[in-house]
Amino acid sequence: MKKVIALLLALTLVIGCLAACDKKDEPSNNTSGDNNTTNNTSDSNSSNTPASEKEELTIEIYDKAANYQGMQEGWFAQVVKERFNIKLNIIAPQVAGDAIYQTRVSTGNLGDIVILDQNEFTDCLSQGLIKDITNEYKNTKYLKEFDKQIMTFNNGIPGNTDGKVYGFPTEMTNTSPTDRSEDTIYSSPMLRWDLYQELGAPEIKDLQGLLDVLKQMKDAHPTTAEGDPCYPFVLWGDWDNNDNMLGIANVVQLTTWYGDKIKETAILQKDGTFTPVTDKNGTYYKMLKFLNDAYQMGLVDPDSATQDWNNVWAKMCNGQMYLMWYSWQVGAWNSQERINNGTAYIFVPVMDQTYYADADAFFGSGRIWGVGSGVDGEKYQRIMEFLDWYASPESLNFQHAGIEGYNYKKLDNGKFEVIAENETADADNKEITGVAYTGKYNDGNNKINQWIVGAVSKNPNTGEGYAKGYWQSYKDATSGKTKQEWKARFGAAEPVEWMKKNNKILISPNVSVSLPSDTADIEVKRGQCKQEIKDASWRMIFASDDASFDAMWDEMVNNLNAFGFQELYDFDVKRAKIEKEAKDAVK
Amino acid sequence: MGRTKKEMDLLAASAAKKKRKGKIEFLYILPFILLVAVFSYYPLWGWVYAFFDYKPPFPLEWKNFVGLKWFKSMFENEVKIKQLLGVIRNTFAMSGISLLFSWFPMIFAVFLNEIKCVPFKKFVQTVTTLPKFISWILVYSIVFSVFSSTGAVNQVLQDLKLIDQPKLFLQSADNVYFTQWLWLTWKEAGWAAIMYIAAITGIDEELIEAARIDGASRMQIIRHITLPSILPTYFVLLMLNLANFLSNGMEQYYVFQNAFNKDKIQVLDLYVYNLAFGGGGYSLSTAISILKSIISLTLLGVTNKVSKLIRGEGFI
Repeated sequence: MKKVIALLLALTLVIGCLAACDKKDEPSNNTSGDNNTTNNTSDSNSSNTPASEKEELTIEIYDKAANYQGMQEGWFAQVVKERFNIKLNIIAPQVAGDAIYQTRVSTGNLGDIVILDQNEFTDCLSQGLIKDITNEYKNTKYLKEFDKQIMTFNNGIPGNTDGKVYGFPTEMTNTSPTDRSEDTIYSSPMLRWDLYQELGAPEIKDLQGLLDVLKQMKDAHPTTAEGDPCYPFVLWGDWDNNDNMLGIANVVQLTTWYGDKIKETAILQKDGTFTPVTDKNGTYYKMLKFLNDAYQMGLVDPDSATQDWNNVWAKMCNGQMYLMWYSWQVGAWNSQERINNGTAYIFVPVMDQTYYADADAFFGSGRIWGVGSGVDGEKYQRIMEFLDWYASPESLNFQHAGIEGYNYKKLDNGKFEVIAENETADADNKEITGVAYTGKYNDGNNKINQWIVGAVSKNPNTGEGYAKGYWQSYKDATSGKTKQEWKARFGAAEPVEWMKKNNKILISPNVSVSLPSDTADIEVKRGQCKQEIKDASWRMIFASDDASFDAMWDEMVNNLNAFGFQELYDFDVKRAKIEKEAKDAVK
Repeated sequence: MGRTKKEMDLLAASAAKKKRKGKIEFLYILPFILLVAVFSYYPLWGWVYAFFDYKPPFPLEWKNFVGLKWFKSMFENEVKIKQLLGVIRNTFAMSGISLLFSWFPMIFAVFLNEIKCVPFKKFVQTVTTLPKFISWILVYSIVFSVFSSTGAVNQVLQDLKLIDQPKLFLQSADNVYFTQWLWLTWKEAGWAAIMYIAAITGIDEELIEAARIDGASRMQIIRHITLPSILPTYFVLLMLNLANFLSNGMEQYYVFQNAFNKDKIQVLDLYVYNLAFGGGGYSLSTAISILKSIISLTLLGVTNKVSKLIRGEGFI
């Protein structure tokens, strides 16, 4: 008997091991060859059946942009289910860590739908992980409307000479690649208007002037009405070294105030020349020193280096931050009510600054959508239908404006108007009422967190952009105190208008170019340099005096050189020049 | 006189039977051999990555074979050597402090055992064992809310007018080794004490009775009976800890690390993790972990020698 048990045990173990080591579906390198047949057969039986009669399907989305991992829940899940009977399972490397990329690519199945950075996309394509969607793409309705953008991207893929379609860029627009249609830019100094007015709305000459204003604000209002401490600068480190930004993400953003754009280790300066981030006359040093000056004046939240994004979001919603610099940050605070009673955050120019701004992301925002090569048959068919819908005006309204009848309503002239009482549904995670969808608003919001079509695009049905900020009705509703006083003070209706009028904005055109990806060697150098810059930068912000700040800077530069910074810089400049030339050609 | 044919046949049959039995008995340990092979030897295959320029999703190819490049690059210049030495220093310091205080759970168990009020004793034991089951990430969120600039500790200190500016406990590089040891002890001490409590229960009651009749005080009983009886357990656990000297894990240090304390908190395991998953240096971090294995083996050999010299017997 014992022998039998032992044998059985051994057997189970062997089988268990074999099962565990077994490779998943072999990465199918087949490209378009057999798609035709599958498409045609599945076309007839899937397109015309209503969603409820189709079998429930779960789609894995490998999603570089997501901050949430797991099944999509709530109202957006309900929207997708009633149309496609599809459930979305989101795999988020931002949550799970980059290791998940390595594991999944080595099994040959990254996901059914993938959203990748362009370099990763090209790498994965060359390894047969991405499906050729040429034939199916031809039959799409809404994606086809972005044919120019999609084909520009695909024709730019190295080796794709016969015009095949493998993917499409994220956040494309139907506006212009050389102009900025938004009223604000991504990064500019924004102050609480009432606090700024209280000081007499002084003209701010330079960074020192900005610090002085902020210091006065903090001295006058050290806490919120509830007694929570306020600081002009509330920083966080979650995004450091991400999204091609080397060092502290917040500092990288601030460099755009002087017309510079950081491309990894290289700073593309206002005048079109490159300089390394380690340049003491460059903007990375300048803005880092600016934050250190702020710290020395007691203006930086002491928890900045240890808190995470969620702590910061709570502080922003609570009004504990006196300087904002990302355009989306105002969403935490500015409501119609606050804009109209003059307590909203708004751009206040610093006179020696010239702002760098990206043009509308006509050709896409840098990431790429694709379909995993393992997908086939009916599933493939349904994924393409879903993706086509995801680019449709109906879907874009859900993604950028929310639920009709809850977040906005249709006016008689066909345009949209915000329903004011639910304006803070997302920030407050309100329970949805009065419409067909249920659950809490933010919990059920679209967790893919990435769009095929950007919010600034024109909705063909309304002639306006998709997000509320572009609606005439919203502009009218928020033209109250803050805007009026701002207009009276600066002589322009909107920040971008002011910048254009005063020649304070540099718009960088949107282009689609394919850039070489890192070699293994460069990748290691980049990893070590990034880590060093990030850690040293944080220490420098909290340096107690200028001498120790400079000593830390010199030590950092010394260390960076040991990690191979020069080689990395040369590589980055070479890469950034390809993009720059393409942009210069458009200008 | 030779054996008869019948006898010969019998002998041969029994030998064959023995052989067959041996084969079947081998099957008993087969699962364990497989287990070791799959989980301890098969992963060693991953060492090949250290000799290639590897970057996912590209498979390993001979054209990317680089020999010892990554090993050499570790010692390429002063800064890199300094960084590596710093990491090894941290590893030794953290493990060293743990070893130095490894008697703590034992003493804790002894005193816990002396508590006569059973409900209280059970309460203390439960409370001290519980942290073992809280993940480090949760521990950190608790720590953050207690020690951040607006946390409870700073509030109390400010209310008592002991400080006027909040003190940044989490950002300071002072006493990192010691505070990290405190957290580790808070989390693990109760759990580690279980082994000793079991050992104490195993002590012969008669010994204690006899000592008591001879007039031994409580302290004397602890000193002359309890401690000597559980010392062998202590040594076994100590040896096991020694074998893990270089592997002090990474979760704890990972959640506590920030730019300010990194020079002190980055231990080998964390360094390997940061390099590989923070910076894509898969090949380099494999090379470092190979080095770690080599140092571990050397350490094991040395302790074994020392043990032979001192106790007269090794443990391998």
